Formats: sequence, structure tokens, C-alpha cells
Amino acid sequence: MFFFTIRRLLASVLVLLVSSFLVFALCAASFDPLEKYYTQNPRPPESFFNNLRETLGLNDNFFVRYWNWLSGVVTGDFGETVNGTPVTEQLWPRLMVTGRMIIGAIVIAILLAIIVGVIGAVRQYKASDYTFTFIAYILIALPTFWFAALLKEYVAGGVNDLFGQQLLYTIGEETPGLSLYASGWELWSDRLGHLVLPTISLAALSFAAWSRFQRAAMLDVLGSDYMRLARAKGLTYRRTVLKHGLRNALIPLTTVVALGVGTLFGGAVITETVFVWHGMGEYLLSNGIDQNDINVVLGWLLVSAVFVVVFNLVADLLYAVLDPRIRLS
Amino acid sequence: MATTQTTTGPVVPATPGTPEGGPVEREFTVKARSQRQQIVGRFLHNKVGMTGAVIFVLLLAFGFLGPLVTGVDYADQDSGFQSVPPGTAGYLMGSDAIGRDLMAGIMTGVQRSLFIVLLFVAIAFPMGLLVGALAGYFGRWVDSVLMRLVDLILTVPLLVVLIVVASNFPGSRTPLGVGIILGLFGWLDLARIVRSQFLSLREKEYVEAAHAMGASNVRIIFKHLIPNSLGSLIVWTTLAAATAITLEAALTYLGFGVNGANQTSLGRLVSDGVQAASTRPWLFYFPGIALLIIVLSINLIGDGIRDAFDPSNRRVRA
Repeated sequence: MFFFTIRRLLASVLVLLVSSFLVFALCAASFDPLEKYYTQNPRPPESFFNNLRETLGLNDNFFVRYWNWLSGVVTGDFGETVNGTPVTEQLWPRLMVTGRMIIGAIVIAILLAIIVGVIGAVRQYKASDYTFTFIAYILIALPTFWFAALLKEYVAGGVNDLFGQQLLYTIGEETPGLSLYASGWELWSDRLGHLVLPTISLAALSFAAWSRFQRAAMLDVLGSDYMRLARAKGLTYRRTVLKHGLRNALIPLTTVVALGVGTLFGGAVITETVFVWHGMGEYLLSNGIDQNDINVVLGWLLVSAVFVVVFNLVADLLYAVLDPRIRLS
Repeated sequence: MATTQTTTGPVVPATPGTPEGGPVEREFTVKARSQRQQIVGRFLHNKVGMTGAVIFVLLLAFGFLGPLVTGVDYADQDSGFQSVPPGTAGYLMGSDAIGRDLMAGIMTGVQRSLFIVLLFVAIAFPMGLLVGALAGYFGRWVDSVLMRLVDLILTVPLLVVLIVVASNFPGSRTPLGVGIILGLFGWLDLARIVRSQFLSLREKEYVEAAHAMGASNVRIIFKHLIPNSLGSLIVWTTLAAATAITLEAALTYLGFGVNGANQTSLGRLVSDGVQAASTRPWLFYFPGIALLIIVLSINLIGDGIRDAFDPSNRRVRA
């Protein structure tokens, strides 16, 4: 297990290296950070452009640029944005903001997927199964931002009217400026109020599809011989389903969840846009792509790729925990 | 399949030619059905799948025949009827801020979205099939190289790749361009599915038999392996088509999708409508519901097909 983990980590580092190289190539070939100055009127003198190219390192060979970036990253320096501010310092607070949303969404989505999937399988072709199936299909078919707009329109308004005060917020990750003077409970309750809707909409994005996988896996397991054996030995139905069935039916879900984390990270870009969060998504779109800033895009990519790689590793380790027949090494 | 003779009687020496007593099928009361007939039959009896199919056909009729009936062009702007609510003066679903008929817009949007999906499938399907087939059939280093490539592209969230590419080609914000971009990056999961199918299928006896009879690799792939993995191929196509529509909508919402002056798609209508959710709700609800229905129906069809190909996932045999 230990050596397996080490080997997988090494392979992951390799994957990260190559994928960062590919994205670097893609961005370097097409991004021009000076673009916004070309259309300026009056157009800045040529010496200005030459100067900027020199400071941004655009005159260097492509491989030299990549090497400079890479050697910086190894020491924890993600380079500077086109405006000259260090990327590393900006990534961390933004990751915290997005992380609050994503971690909550993953936990909620997994729990809901398991509950709904198991109920759907155990009560197959009953009213509850059909209801859950219907909801899952609707959620899969809805565009996230449309669903989020519905949440903002009805849920936020409804809850706030119900309690007679502003409990849920529709934009931002905290009331602007609050963190400057407030702390502790006051700050975190405010953040919680901002957190609820984005987390729900992000969780809904993944939960529906995952619950379908969980239902299918559970159906497979319920029909297997060892379940019948367990029942024949006198275990209660509830106990067979939860102890024997669920444990085995969780294996496919771990794979799907691990693969889905990447999608979730991408989906967070949309959710952040809808709810005007100043997190990783906004950073990627407005600081990275709009500004033609390679370092920002690569910083974003690296964080998300690390998420994906780590979750895949965790999934592999979980297999061994869930199914003792699987021996890693 | 009828393989055994049920007739008893004196043993007749075998003579070449047609068996006496007419064709064998006459002797059985149950008609033998080919696998294809069984699959089609199962699909036709699948309530979920058929519901999806019917809704999908109705939507197609709405999108393609509707404009012929109403005769209204989405590009027509009427300054006298800006932002009118549904039901006003022939605007059945209302109009937008510059006086375009929303219903005509949705009809055009359905057409454009289907065009995008067709383009997406036409590009992604052959690519995924080719890569997956090569990796699964030849194995060894071909498999390693191709699958590591797929893994690599998978580390980057698809949406981000699409955004980066689309932002580099601002001229591509037409249905044509968006379809091509989606297609170029949408084949990764298909490649994995095809590979896993081929890995198990190539070990089957009939492949060995085909090899022994001197069939070429190309022939084995096209005549034996692809037909036998048809089920997952079709299911992938339907589900990926549904995903493509929502992806296009997401891309457009973020400002990297269909964006031309007289271009539209369901995604564009929806993302435009979101801005007007509280002031002009019809612009928000109708396109969203149209998109919901079309994606939903495609998903239901895909589910029906999956059940038809692989009935093992239900406790009752259909």
C-alpha cells in the first residue's frame, strides 16, 4: 500500500508536468498579453512594447519560458501576473473561497447520492423510486446557471421572507468589508448565509448523476448470491442491505466521484459567476483569460489538476478499504 | 435460435438439399427473433424510452415545421413590440428587448442546437472510436501512449479547455465553430469506453476464429468488434448529445459560446434570459424549459436504449 501510494504520487507528478506543458504551449501560442495596448488610442510607442516584452519575458525561447515558470513553481512561486503582482499570494485566498463551496458541495452530493441511490434501488419501481428518478433527470438536464437563477429568485426570497430578515444572500461570498472589522461567529454566520445557495446549486450539478450510478450499482449488488446467503443465514433485511450491500455498492461510486471532481471544479466557475463570488473561477476568467495571462491560467490549472489527482489517488486507496480482495502493491 | 430438431421417427440417411417437410420454422409456434429485433422490441415497449422519443419528435416538429407554419423570422425586429409579455398581438411567447419574437427564437434555437449536436457527434464519434479501438485492439505501447494522452487531457476540466480554445478563436462563436470545438474535445470518455469494450471482446473465441480464418485486423475491428460494442456506442452518443447541449449553454453563459449578431442557439437564449429573470420572466422561463425538455428527452431515449441493449439491470426480464 505504501509503495503503491508512492508510485502513484510519482506518476501523478509526471502527469501534472506534461499537462502543464501542454496548457503552457496552448496559451503561449495564442495569448498575447499586450493585446489590450494595441487598440489604445493613441497607440503607445514601440519602445513601450519592447520594454514590456522584455519584462514579461516574451522574447525568450518558448522552452526557456516554460523552464522559468517551472523552476519557479517548484519553489512555490507561480510567477507574476501581467500587471506585476505575484500569483501565489492571490491563489491562496481565492482557493479558500472556492474551497468552502466545493468541499461542502462534494460532501452533500455524496451523501444525497448514496441515500437517494439506495432508496431507489431497494424500492425499485415504487413511487419513491420514480419520484427520485424524475428529479434526478430534471437536475441532469437543467443548465446549472438557470437552476441557480431559480434558487436566487425563489428560495432566497422565500426563506428571507419566512424569517423576516436577510438570512440567505444571492451575491458575493461575504458582506463586503465585513472581514475588516468582524470576526468569529458574526463573520462566519454571514459567510454561511452566502454559502448556502451556491453550495446547493453546485451539489445539485453532481448529485443527480451520481445517484443514478449508486442506484445501478446497488441493483447489481442486491441481485447477487451473497446477499441471498446473508438473508438465508438470518440477518435482517436492513442489515444485509446496509452492511453487505452498501459496502460493495460504494466501489463504483468512488470512481465516479473521483472523476467528477474535475467537472465539479469546472462547474464551480459557472456557479461563481452566477453568485458573483471572488474565487478561483472569477480569477480564471477575468484575471486569466480576459487578460491573456498565462501564469494565472496555469496557476488555476495546477490547483484543479492537483485536486483531480489527489481525489483519484484517494479513490484508489478507498477501493482497498472497501473491498479487502483488492491488494495494492 | 432454432437448432434442434424435435421430430421423431425413422432415421433417414442424410441427403444434401432442402430438408423435407418445408422450412424448419414452421414446426415452432414461437417465431425466432434476431437479436436486433429483440432490442428494437424491448425499446418499443420501454415506456421511459418511448416517452423520450415521442417528446423529441414533437420538439423536432416544433423546431423545423413550426417556422413554416408561423412564417415569422427570428431576425425580424419590430420596434413597436419590444418586451411584450406572452400572448400579446401574435407574440405567443412574448418578445425580447429589440422586438424579436421569442417563439421564433426558440424554434431557430432548437434547429441550431441540433446542428451543434450533430456536428459534435460527427467529429467526436469517429475520433473516440478510432483512438479507443486502436488502444483496445492493439494493446501494448499503442494502448499506453493513447490512454496516457487521454488521461492528460482529462486532468484539465473540459469546460476550461473549451474556454481557452474559444477565447483564442473569437471568430468561432458561431454554431459551426462551437460545434467543432465541442467535438474536438468531447471524445475522451468515448475512447475509454470503446477501449474497455475492445479489451474484453478481443479475447472472445469468435475473434480467435476470425484470426484463424485469416481475417485482417481491419475486418475484425469493423465486422466483429464494433457491431458487438454497438450498445455502449449508441448510449454514449445519446448521453453525449445531451451533455453537448448543456455544455454549449454553459459556454455561452460564460461568454465564450455562440455570440454572432444573428446567431442563436438554445444556450444563447437561456443565458440571455437569465439576465431578465425578474423583469421579463418569459425570456427566462420559455428558453430554459425548452432546453430542459430537449435534454431530458434525449436522456430518456438514451436510458431506453441502454435498457434495450442490456436488460440485466432490472429485476424483471422485459
